[in-house]
Amino acid sequence: MERVAFARLLARNALLWIVPAAILWLVLTPLYNRYLVATGETLLHLGESPDSTRLYLRDQGVLRITRLDIGGGQSALHEAALSDFHFDWILLATLFLATPGVAMARRLRALAWAALVLLVFHLLLLVFYVESIYATALGDWSARHYGALARNFWGLGKHTLNLPFKFALPFALWAASFWQSFAQPEEAPPAPRKPRRR
Amino acid sequence: MRKREVVFLVLFLGLLGAGFALLSYNPVNDHLVEPFTAMVARVSGGMLRLLGQPVAMEGTVIRGPSFAVNIRNGCNGLETLIIFASAVLAFPAPWRSRLIGLVLGSLAIQAINLVRVVALYLTGAYAPSWFDNSHTVVWQTIVILCGVLLWVFWATRFVPRPAPAER
Repeated sequence: MERVAFARLLARNALLWIVPAAILWLVLTPLYNRYLVATGETLLHLGESPDSTRLYLRDQGVLRITRLDIGGGQSALHEAALSDFHFDWILLATLFLATPGVAMARRLRALAWAALVLLVFHLLLLVFYVESIYATALGDWSARHYGALARNFWGLGKHTLNLPFKFALPFALWAASFWQSFAQPEEAPPAPRKPRRR
Repeated sequence: MRKREVVFLVLFLGLLGAGFALLSYNPVNDHLVEPFTAMVARVSGGMLRLLGQPVAMEGTVIRGPSFAVNIRNGCNGLETLIIFASAVLAFPAPWRSRLIGLVLGSLAIQAINLVRVVALYLTGAYAPSWFDNSHTVVWQTIVILCGVLLWVFWATRFVPRPAPAER
């Protein structure tokens, strides 16, 4: 396929795929929110002794962060919309499904691998998000439990994952998966045949 | 994955991290990002006035009779610009092609972001219940997707194909 045609077809296909991708994301979001909250809480417990973090999923997909050692776990330390963590699914699915000149089976296989990476990334983002709240947003409690280095680590990590990487990761995964589709070298001219000796 | 893809990814992620670290640096934020964001607010406000909206601009805030938006980092188009610029610089291309990509891409991304800010203000003013989802999910996805498509267009239109490997 001509490279210029590739760009045009990708843009057209992206327009066609973005709505189905968004609908699929909306349908799967309640299930995915439950996975994120349950697995995220388990991961956070790996760094706690005793296990103090309790994450809850409220109506409308709102994440509620509580700790048993602060107010007995009764008051919310922070609340955030979980959809903000994972709406990059729409971009990922749109890009992978819209790639022209590649068989659907190969696109789906590549999408499955990329989805695994994104699953792990969202968990990492959630862990950094919660830890950054603990490290920087709880006043005296934060100052008592987190040193300057830890505050910077969790704060910078959350900022980096939440802004640049959340948006860039779907693109990076797509570019790596379909590099040959838009960056392939020119066809080499056929090697000249040697004249036969008689 | 071949060497070219790996080099691209490593360079892309490295440039991306460096770009965002630079944006987060306080002197850069105070002397570059904030004035730039205020300019985005002024241009967006001017566009809204052209559309008949009675708005006033105060720094990075666009204020109307019933609704106001504060344009902050993430809404000024710089994040998309850094993702785009990192991809342009990481892609194997001559410097002339990169320069063309950076100039045209920056202009296009800012134009798209202008549409986004104007659309978000109008959404907030006339359909406020749609504002939150429109702000995060809809427009962020559209702007980043446009940035990716611009990059693909640049990589396929302005970058000469690499020479074939010798046989």
